[in-house]
Amino acid sequence: MQQLLNGIFLGSIYALFAIGFTLVFGVLDRLNLAHSAVFSTSAFVGIELVTRAGLSIWVTLPIIFVFGGVLGLVIERVAFRPLKDRHDAHFAGLISSIALGAMFLALLQAVFGPDTRRFPPDAFPRQRIEFAGSTVSVLQLVIVAVAFALMVGLTLMVSRSRLGRGMRAVAENPHAARVLGIDVDRITALTFALSTALGGVAGVLFALNVNSAQISMGTSIELKGLAVIIVGGLGSLPGAMLGGLIVGLAEVFAVAYVGSSWRDVIAFGLLFAILLLRPQGIFGARKVREI
Amino acid sequence: MLEFVDAYASTITFMALTGVFAYSFYAVLVAGQLSLAQAGIASAAAFTSSLAVPAEPLFGVVPRLVVGIAVGMSVGAFLAFLLGLPVMRLRGVFLAIATLAFGEVVRILLINQSWTGGAQGLSFPKLVGIPQAWLALAAVAYWFWRLGGSRLGRAFAAIREDELAARAMGIDVSRHRMTAFVTSGAVAGLYGVMLAYFVRFAEPNAFGFSAAVDGLVTAVVGGTIFFIGPVLGSTFLTWLPELQRAIGVEAGWIRPFVSGLLLLLVILFLPGGLAALIPHRRRGIMTPPDAPLDLPALPAPGTPIASLRAIRKDYGGVHAVHEVDLDIAAGEIVGLIGPNGAGKTTLVNMLSGLVPPSGGEGTVVGIPLGSGVPAHRIALAGVSRTFQQIKLFNRLSALDNALVGAHRVSRPTMLRRLVLLPSARRDEKRALGQAFAQLTRVGLADRAHLPAGDLSYGDQRRLEIARALAAHPSLLILDEPAAGMNHVEAHLLSVLIRALAEDGVTVLLIEHNVRMVLETCTRVVVLDFGEVIAAGDPATIARDPRVVEAYLGAEDDQEEPA
Amino acid sequence: MSAPILVVENLVVAYGQVEAVRGVSFHAEAGALITLVGANGAGKTSILNAIAGLVRPRSGRVLYDGKDVTRRPAHRLVADGLVQVPEGRLILGTLTVEENLQLGGWQQRSTQAASIEEMYERFPLLAQRRALPAGALSGGEQQMLAIARALVARPTVLLMDEPSMGLAPKVVDEVFRVIAQIRSSGTTVVLVEQNARRALRAADYGYVLETGQVAHEGAASELLTDPRVVEAYLGLE
Repeated sequence: MQQLLNGIFLGSIYALFAIGFTLVFGVLDRLNLAHSAVFSTSAFVGIELVTRAGLSIWVTLPIIFVFGGVLGLVIERVAFRPLKDRHDAHFAGLISSIALGAMFLALLQAVFGPDTRRFPPDAFPRQRIEFAGSTVSVLQLVIVAVAFALMVGLTLMVSRSRLGRGMRAVAENPHAARVLGIDVDRITALTFALSTALGGVAGVLFALNVNSAQISMGTSIELKGLAVIIVGGLGSLPGAMLGGLIVGLAEVFAVAYVGSSWRDVIAFGLLFAILLLRPQGIFGARKVREI
Repeated sequence: MLEFVDAYASTITFMALTGVFAYSFYAVLVAGQLSLAQAGIASAAAFTSSLAVPAEPLFGVVPRLVVGIAVGMSVGAFLAFLLGLPVMRLRGVFLAIATLAFGEVVRILLINQSWTGGAQGLSFPKLVGIPQAWLALAAVAYWFWRLGGSRLGRAFAAIREDELAARAMGIDVSRHRMTAFVTSGAVAGLYGVMLAYFVRFAEPNAFGFSAAVDGLVTAVVGGTIFFIGPVLGSTFLTWLPELQRAIGVEAGWIRPFVSGLLLLLVILFLPGGLAALIPHRRRGIMTPPDAPLDLPALPAPGTPIASLRAIRKDYGGVHAVHEVDLDIAAGEIVGLIGPNGAGKTTLVNMLSGLVPPSGGEGTVVGIPLGSGVPAHRIALAGVSRTFQQIKLFNRLSALDNALVGAHRVSRPTMLRRLVLLPSARRDEKRALGQAFAQLTRVGLADRAHLPAGDLSYGDQRRLEIARALAAHPSLLILDEPAAGMNHVEAHLLSVLIRALAEDGVTVLLIEHNVRMVLETCTRVVVLDFGEVIAAGDPATIARDPRVVEAYLGAEDDQEEPA
Repeated sequence: MSAPILVVENLVVAYGQVEAVRGVSFHAEAGALITLVGANGAGKTSILNAIAGLVRPRSGRVLYDGKDVTRRPAHRLVADGLVQVPEGRLILGTLTVEENLQLGGWQQRSTQAASIEEMYERFPLLAQRRALPAGALSGGEQQMLAIARALVARPTVLLMDEPSMGLAPKVVDEVFRVIAQIRSSGTTVVLVEQNARRALRAADYGYVLETGQVAHEGAASELLTDPRVVEAYLGLE
């Protein structure tokens, strides 16, 4: 039971990270590999805000949301928009986002140094609660609540709001969207911003969960994120949520019962299996490009 | 000079090794695929070789390193083959992610084995120094250099530029992609073994995602079109930190920042990589070699070429093609006309094997149509085509485009090229002769050296025809070849088509330019809403009121707008 | 007599090497229905795309209501009342009928709801299917949806690209009835059609295009009986 809960907590962070990833892929057909750099950077900046500026976590999270969004605008403008009409746009976008992400991480190291950072010990409540025979901390509950609130909010926004309609139109057919008078460039930038805003919050939540942040924290979660979005279905928001939970749970149970060094095999094994058996993922509707 | 070499022995060796690693990416990128499994494969090769390499030279003669390399490359090739089988149908991002996942799984599996030493790693004897590393690099570079002018290399380039068109020219795309994969695995294996025996140490974590990305970066920075790319990339990226150190840049973050910045600049502004900066010796106007190809005779006039009975294609609920009967005999020039959306291109896609019929029967040059029949098989049997939207291999020269077209009638030369056998040269010349002959036929001989993407629209249309002709087809399908041409150009095209027919090529022509069709064809078939509404000789068709109506609208309508 | 609401001067549209439109000029009076007819590849769609701001012309000018809009992007033109019903309808199949209509009003948020209600009255079929994904509609229904979607934007000038393509004759009748209604409500219509007879019967004025240039023009009723129009299509003497 304890493991189940731990899996849910870990999984909800994975889901929050992945949902931004899949949003950009679903709407813009681009894989943004600088997403993990936003994740790491936001964690450090979040810690800094709490430690140095003494802000409470409730104020920091919205600030990070905006900060992540701004990073997304930069990424879109620098790494993706100039490549828009190139015929190798997919591949080039992968490389340019890798490059920009590496630059972000280098800058991160310049500002914060190479060491691990932690939150100050009194930054958040430390109570623990008994629940169905296991212990959960208030912090973990808060993390899950925030993650779910954001993801549900995003899903509602995409399915109900005007902006969401515009994004879905661009996702289906950017030319048709343009004919309708939609400013596709602006929607693209907003989609990126939204995606990295969520990724940034995921970074802070993750740092809270393990109470540490390192420069390399993005790499491992990036790979997990890829696994999550493939398993859940590229471009599917509920897929990212469900996929995140699945991967999180699988990982926790694998560590508990098989051994921690096998942890990552689960994610990649699942990934590989899904790509072979059902490449569109659990909820995916996009046809896997075969030609 | 010698002091320099001594002081930088390590760097010089690394330069060669990273070059080898970059070639493993190059091997798949030439064929237009992005695979990221090389790092994992390299580590598997390194560790496996540690099991196989004896303490003494094998049989007292074979050096230990050679044994290690042989084992490593075999392991690498085998793993790549295993990986390739399931992921062959994936493209683009999906392929990259799948291969990445595979690489990671290999890494984790290796970490958990005791014989690899786990996370502590294994120690290796030092068997590799500057000479061995550079020899390896030279050998690999040689392979890819020889690949460049070969039929195989051209097939890779074709697949990279336009996979569908490559299929239509008779190239078995799956087999070629697998070949590229296996080559990449073997080279990655070579790298893994050489690295381990140089650094004297290997542990699985050094071969993770970051290592894969580094290799990819090297390949991309160097350039993935010309064979010298990986060498340039590894030179540049290996010396960059040394350069930075020499000018006093020490701080730990500046180097990765500069690397990232450089990569970003290269991908944004220099899509061909550093290799694109080398002034490529532009071949000027060439003279054709005098080396005739021995080509089989085309079918005699009257021989059945294609036969369709009640052929159908449905998309969802829409009948794109509905119960069509069609016969084509050798020597005919059949015109296929009809308004937009009538199903002409769908019909032709079925004939060329790009799309399987939903129902009915069809036979083309002796091959029955069906969902199991790949397009390249029909192309190899003698069906060649052009496309409605021009699908040339844009970055290849006109001559190279035609040479790809000649894939069907030319012989593989790669292995013979490696040992510089003169018979390979002769076969290449024959293929060149065939390609040149077709370019001359369409009037492009003086532009053979120009990149296809730079040609004028009319020339591009004609190049597509030349490429299709280079395959010496029994049936030539032309999909709207006169689109966008004016009367004069269309007339010249019509003259060319009739000349082809006199040489024995059977032609199926889709066109909107009805005047041109009537002038060119021996028989005309009219399609509307997926069905044949009229067929016969051109003069009759031109007078048929149903045809006029299909194009212009009905003479009188029941409903008149208010 | 007021100035024409839409003027196109010496439009040249090229894609790389290919000159699809080689110096076309025409104009439309406010409230008129003009038609551009011609065979495939004549450049008609490129002309509409250039006017609508989807493609940048190589040279030439487009004047809308007296202002030079040649380089104005599509989203601003839609906001100003210049709307296209594109070739192939370009319905967003994964969105519902209602959402498609809402997207038609993307630039006209204040009048959107009212316009949509009007569309439901005018096209009861769409009202019935409002919650269905648009991809489930038949070809004819999708064409109606595409037209309704454009009308939600309350266009002053409506560009229609081959509305009859791929539709059965009875449905084409329906489409042209709707076009006549639109025209009589005061909207200027520029109609591009392969079905030349239908188009010329509906229009006031016509232009016949051949390989990117205007070959003939005149009052629609005269072009209908002009043998040169037939020749332009079928190349018959």
